[in-house]
Parts: sequence; C-alpha cells; structure tokens
Amino acid sequence: MAVNKEELKQKILEFATKKAAHKSKMYIKDLYKADPNAKPREVKNAANELVREGKLEFFSSGSTVMYGVPGFGKTTEEAFE
Amino acid sequence: MADVKKHDTPMVDDLKKGPWPSFADDIEEKGLSGKQECLDLLGQLELSFKHKETHWKHGGIVGVFGYGGGVIGRYSDVPDMFPSIAHFHTIRVNQPASKFYNSKFLRKLCDLWDHRGSGMTNFHGSTGDMVLLGTKTEELEPVFYDLTHQMGCDLGGSGSNLRTPSCCVGKARCEYACIDTQEICYDLTQTFQDELHRPAFPYKFKFKVSGCPNDCVAAIARSCCSIIGTWRDDIRIDQDAVKAYMAGELKPNAGAHSDKDWGAFDIQKEVIDLCPSQCMKMEDGELKINNRECVRCMHCINTMPEALRPGTDTGATILCGAKAPILEGAQMSTLVIPFIKMEPPYDEFKDFVDKVWEWWMEEGKNRERLGELIQRKSLQEFLRIAELKPIPQMVKEPRSNPYVFWGEDEVEGGWKRDVKAFRARHAA
Repeated sequence: MAVNKEELKQKILEFATKKAAHKSKMYIKDLYKADPNAKPREVKNAANELVREGKLEFFSSGSTVMYGVPGFGKTTEEAFE
Repeated sequence: MADVKKHDTPMVDDLKKGPWPSFADDIEEKGLSGKQECLDLLGQLELSFKHKETHWKHGGIVGVFGYGGGVIGRYSDVPDMFPSIAHFHTIRVNQPASKFYNSKFLRKLCDLWDHRGSGMTNFHGSTGDMVLLGTKTEELEPVFYDLTHQMGCDLGGSGSNLRTPSCCVGKARCEYACIDTQEICYDLTQTFQDELHRPAFPYKFKFKVSGCPNDCVAAIARSCCSIIGTWRDDIRIDQDAVKAYMAGELKPNAGAHSDKDWGAFDIQKEVIDLCPSQCMKMEDGELKINNRECVRCMHCINTMPEALRPGTDTGATILCGAKAPILEGAQMSTLVIPFIKMEPPYDEFKDFVDKVWEWWMEEGKNRERLGELIQRKSLQEFLRIAELKPIPQMVKEPRSNPYVFWGEDEVEGGWKRDVKAFRARHAA
C-alpha cells in the first residue's frame, strides 16, 4: 500500500534524528525501519528528497552511501581530511 | 627506471607469438615507455600463470565520496614483489550513448589517465563503460574531480546498483533503428542518477536499448530490462528492389558473406523458406508477407535491405530478466510488453520500472537478479505486480509451460482443495 510521501518523510526525519544521537550515520536499510509499512523504494526516494531539501545529508564510507543528520557526527569533508 | 623490463616473463611472452596483436605487447610497450605499473602487472600475471591462481584481491572499501559505485577496488596480494600495483583500482566511466567521441576528448582522457593512473584502459568493458585500469586510492578523488569538472563525464555503475545503461548506435548510423536509442539511454541515465550512484538494490540491474530486433547490444541476453525497437504495422516492401535482388542486380546481405561463390541468389531458398513463421510467399511475381504472423526475426530485412524495411509505426518491445550464468544457468529476457510507443518523457515505461523495482527491492534476496526473482516467484506474480495482462506471446509452447493460472478470487464461486487428499492420490 502506498504511503503518503510527506508523512513518510516526517517519519524518516524523526527516526533518523532520534537515532543520530547515538549513531550518526545510517544505512538505507536502517531507514527502512522508520515505517515498516512503506516499501523500500518509497523510503529511499523520500530519504533522497530529504537530502535535496538539506534535512538529511549523504555520507560515504567510500563504497557505501550512508545517511546522516546535519550537525551530528563527522561531515563528509571532515572524514575526507 | 621503468624503461628496462625487470621481471622475467616467459609464459606471458609466449602470448605474443599468436597471429593477432597481443595485450602483452601493448602493456609491455606502455611499461617500457615509463609506466612501472604495466611491467609489474605483467610480472604478477606471470606469477599467476606459474601458481595457476590469481594474485588480485577483489573489493574492499574504496570509492569516491557521495558515490556508492563506479570504482572497483583491486589490490595485489603480493605487493612486496610488485609495489607499483599494490593498489590497482578500476574506474568505470559512463560512456556517451552509442559511444561516440571526438579525438580531443579521447586525448584529454588519455592525458588524465597517464598522469593519474597506469595509462591502461579498456574501450569498452562489457558493461559498456570506458574502463580506466589501475590507480592508487589517493588518486581516486582527483580523477573523479577532473572527470566531472573538466571532461563533463561521470562515473558508471558498479556493485548493487543500476549499471550504466547502454545502447546500440541507433538512428545515428543505422536505418533499421525503430526508436531513438541514444535519447532513451541518456534519459534513463539522467532520470535514475540516484539508482546509478547510490546502491539500494538487492543486486545489479541493467537496462540495454537496441534500436531493432537485430539487437546489436544483445539486450535480450544480458539485461534485466531489455528495450528493443520494433514496429506494429507492415514491413515496407519495394517490389522493384525485390525483383532486382532476384535478377542479381543487387547483392544480397548488402554484399556480406560473399567470400565464396554461393551461386545465384535464390529468394525461395534464402529468404522465404527460412522465415520462422512461414509468413512469406511469391505471388504473381510479387513478394507477399502475412505481417500478422511476423515474429521480427529480421532475416528477410537483413538479406534484402534495399527491398524490405521495418514499418513506420514504431516503438519498443520490453523484455525482462536476462542474466549471465553465475548462480543459475544463463537466462534470456522474457517478453512482458509487446509494444510500447517509447516517446519522451517515457512516463509509461518509467511507471512500469518503478513497479518492478519496488517489488524486487522488497522481495529480492541479497544478490538475486530480477530474472531469478521472476523464476522463484513465478511470471504470474511478476505480471500481477507490474499490472500487466498475460498474453499468448508470453507462453513459449502452449500447454508445456502454461504458467498463467486462474486465482481463486478470479473464478466465480472460487474453489476449495485439500492438498493432503490430493497428495494421497498423486505422488509429489
């Protein structure tokens, strides 16, 4: 069942912010848990939209893309240094 | 000093003796011109021949920031012997649609790679990408920066993401092209940037686009989603040209396969009798085609290109699920959409892809290709999620693979069945 995109984005943001307090970077698979009813692709599209809006940020381990909340943990630039 | 060959490589040297130019020659030449990596690579290859096992380590966490694909980590497991190839990462660069370049671009790319890498390339890898072979971890970001900022190109796909879409030369150089393969390839690449660079799939996913059923990129054999140009009206026939072929005035196959004297062109033997659906005949000196029965084998069109041409109401056929034989045997794509117009912005096609990806991302096991998922969950299930109707063309042979069954809810009154009672009468 398709879920409302704005609601899903809100859920992801809340989930990620809560989680970021003790683990600042998350895999896309972690974000799937934000709403068990949403399909993986819906979560991925919503999370990437949040990145475009600046509410989440990408982080890269080098080979895997991770998601972070701005202000928590290292930024990509810091990690690169 | 790189201009002196420092490893003794008798077995590799043996490869140079064949009738064709050998990669060993090319790599050694590059090495002797100053690239130590090339000489070390040949040295390690010799060692692998000797030990009969590879000395490359595959994978590892290596890439560029923000991207989850495009770089394939390679390390030597004998770095003390071959220090210059201790890191020897591969970079996949997204090729332009149909692989057209100008020489200025190629020179610039080679200069970049001579400066930052081994100078060795593959044009092109079987993915379709330009493959830059061999560089060190610290060179990856500078190469990526130069590729994106100076060359106007991007990394391709690797890992569990959408692989670089690829297409045939299409309308740029081929009169058979029924769809604008380059436009479709470019559009899909741009639309699905997220999927290309940020892996979130169970495994790889490939789009390949062929302009006509000759399928020059072999989309049907190696892509999860094959887009193959076709037509739904009639094959265009120029009866005068048919007569010219029959009279020997025009060369069949556009002059190909003429290395031997095969005798005069015989339209009955070489075209009509070879039609797989036997939908052609000569009548009153004219070639007749029963277009309803045509299966788009392209044989008649390929044999008499000046007389026969694809129709004008063109579009594409979509097939899903091909893969090479890694886990299970090789598998060809299965026809799922017989005809789709494929006109920009391709919304109808993209809607279909969204449905397929949603299903695959939810149901697919780790490292399970779409074709394997369809095999595991049934084509019927795939058609249901893609909201497609089963059609006779999907069945290879009626009654031998009738995979479309009625569901209980699709039949008035439904039915009840007792599996235990059934098994008592029929062994599993």
